[in-house]
Amino acid sequence: MKRYIIFLFIAVLGWTLAQTFRAIPFGADRRGNLDQPDRVAAFYLKESPETLQTANSITAIVVNFRGFDTLGEVTVLFLAATGLASILYRKEEDDETEERITLISSSLVRTGAKILFPLILLLGIYVFIHGHLTPGGGFQGGAIIATGFLLMLITYKRFDTNHNLMVWLESLAGLAFVATGLYGLFTYGSFLQNTHSVGTLNDLISGGLIPLIYIFIGIKVGTELTNILDILLKIKPGKQS
Amino acid sequence: MVISPVHYIVAPLLAAFAIPLLSKIYKDAARVVPGIVLFYNVIISFVLMKQVLKQGMINEVIAGWQPPWGINLVLTPFTGFLAAMISVMGFIIWLYGFRFKRTLKGGVVKYYEILQMMMIAGSIGVIITGDLFNMFVFIEIVGITAYSLTAFYRDRNGAEAGFKYLLLGSLASTFLLLAILLIYTQTGTLNMAQIAERMPEVSSGIKITALVFFLIALGIEAEMFPLNGWAPDAYEQAPSPTSATFAAVVSIAGVYALVRILFTLFDVAGVHQYLIVMGFVTMLVAEIAAVSQKNLKRMLAYSSIGQVGLVLIAFGVGSPLAVFGALFLMLNHAVIKSLLFMTGSYFIYNSGEKRLEGLNGMHKRLPYVSALFSLAAFAIIGFPPFSGFWSKFYILIAASDQKMIFLIIGILLVTIIELVYYLRSVGRIYFAKEEMQDIAHKPSVNALIAMSFLALFIIIIGIYPDIITGYINQAAAALLDKTHYVQQILGSK
Repeated sequence: MKRYIIFLFIAVLGWTLAQTFRAIPFGADRRGNLDQPDRVAAFYLKESPETLQTANSITAIVVNFRGFDTLGEVTVLFLAATGLASILYRKEEDDETEERITLISSSLVRTGAKILFPLILLLGIYVFIHGHLTPGGGFQGGAIIATGFLLMLITYKRFDTNHNLMVWLESLAGLAFVATGLYGLFTYGSFLQNTHSVGTLNDLISGGLIPLIYIFIGIKVGTELTNILDILLKIKPGKQS
Repeated sequence: MVISPVHYIVAPLLAAFAIPLLSKIYKDAARVVPGIVLFYNVIISFVLMKQVLKQGMINEVIAGWQPPWGINLVLTPFTGFLAAMISVMGFIIWLYGFRFKRTLKGGVVKYYEILQMMMIAGSIGVIITGDLFNMFVFIEIVGITAYSLTAFYRDRNGAEAGFKYLLLGSLASTFLLLAILLIYTQTGTLNMAQIAERMPEVSSGIKITALVFFLIALGIEAEMFPLNGWAPDAYEQAPSPTSATFAAVVSIAGVYALVRILFTLFDVAGVHQYLIVMGFVTMLVAEIAAVSQKNLKRMLAYSSIGQVGLVLIAFGVGSPLAVFGALFLMLNHAVIKSLLFMTGSYFIYNSGEKRLEGLNGMHKRLPYVSALFSLAAFAIIGFPPFSGFWSKFYILIAASDQKMIFLIIGILLVTIIELVYYLRSVGRIYFAKEEMQDIAHKPSVNALIAMSFLALFIIIIGIYPDIITGYINQAAAALLDKTHYVQQILGSK
């Protein structure tokens, strides 16, 4: 009986929600007037090619118009990695060597991984360097790089990510992002403000600071996700059953 | 260099990204750097507060795009007051926890300090931002840090508490995002001032749905009944400086977000009554639960939830005097409850006993800390010479102005409940028989300074509340004056 009441309750709730969301027209053109924008979407579409000379308006929104949110999201990822490390850390007195939960792979997989790994890294780097021109960007490129490392981590038991280098790269990328923001604050009086010399639309070097910031984000996301994977895949030997 | 609100966020971020590098060079960097940053935040909050009171609201633009288009940070007397309060409490909690876990080897301390600092910075971000989605991002930052700090001790209970918090927190994020999405589809903007301006045009069905989503999401963050199931576990299992931060910083940010959205964004009738009812239920249930607790930190946690309930009631009453009382109570709650957590953690440390029995005869071992605990307990109940008296007093006066007789009776009844369990703990400290144990962990100097400062604050404000009431009055006026807020932000384009 109780179960039916709950079902009924959920059905009523779902129906109400569906009604609400149905009121939002799906797929309709909601940009409004592009010349006299009164919604932010129209403004962004108008300004990103004109003022920012950025072909990919999504990148312009993510890195410039709402760059502060992106800085926040990068921080969220950084804190998630930090939090994970704080919960899963190894005490130093445990001097047993750590191992990865990895089964021995066949030589086919090992050779394939070795060939694919540099290509995957290259694709990731391409995606974040071209973030202001083509679909993709720092987060996507970083995630692609992390998949490359994941492939190596699960294929080779002894693959080492060089933790020290990772920490340096990650910290420096984060600091560089904030420093770029501070450059805007000190030069133009507004945090994260773009330079006035933005180049021409569709050039590789265009959009002012936007590609630079996306490169920092790409490096940071890539190293952070790799670190998370590394932490999650490591175990003390003898505990896998 | 001109000081502006963005420094509140940038300084901790720089430090957080740099700490992993700095601690390779200087081993104690992870302990020292957050203190410098938090102290810097205290300084800028005083400078900015002075500026706000003299010249009016500061509206800082990010990335050079004026308010409706870009993100802006807003410092009114209201947000400036809360940001200053959180900065000061953040610094004091850092001072208290300076030597926390100094015995632990390795990088753990580094992680702890980064998370703790970012939790405070994120809470300030929630308060000073003028953009709805930016607020969501900062709530995420606070949430992520809070989950991991809850599970920091890595035992069974900690993991359970952390996981529970994680589940409810993610639920809150989902609903918050849905609510923001609904608002965005209708108004085409994320700037809170412009949403407030366009809200009357939104159809009521969508408005109500968005409001309900906001109430669910922020009710979880603000520890509102029945969405506060995570809170007692999280307060109990987190390291003590973190519990103090939950009470003094995170819950304040949660209540702020709820109040900002209900007062500024929405113009729906009946919200105030809802706040009164939910606040009252929250308070009553929490205080009754607190009486039956056997564990000290858990008892304090329930008492915290009760205080938040009272804050919500006062905001619900809605008159200028009531809002004044609510802000005063938020300040008192932050100061007194963190003092209770700080002293309480020394009792637990000394007796090795998390239950209330651990308090027995504690005044012989820790006379000074016991005195501080008792002072804080009396202050939070609302005894006259302490600061807690004034906030409760003003809320009661505000309620009587509105002829809410049952509310007054209810608050006084709950005060009696508070009296029961706090006096019981104080009684244990002074009059119960001691089980002889002579491992005395004396409090460290920095913790003593932090606790004494809070106690001094309680006494000084209690005797002479006029030092602070002027600021709180302006803060309350700034919150209630919605038209001024909207005009100031949108007018500056």
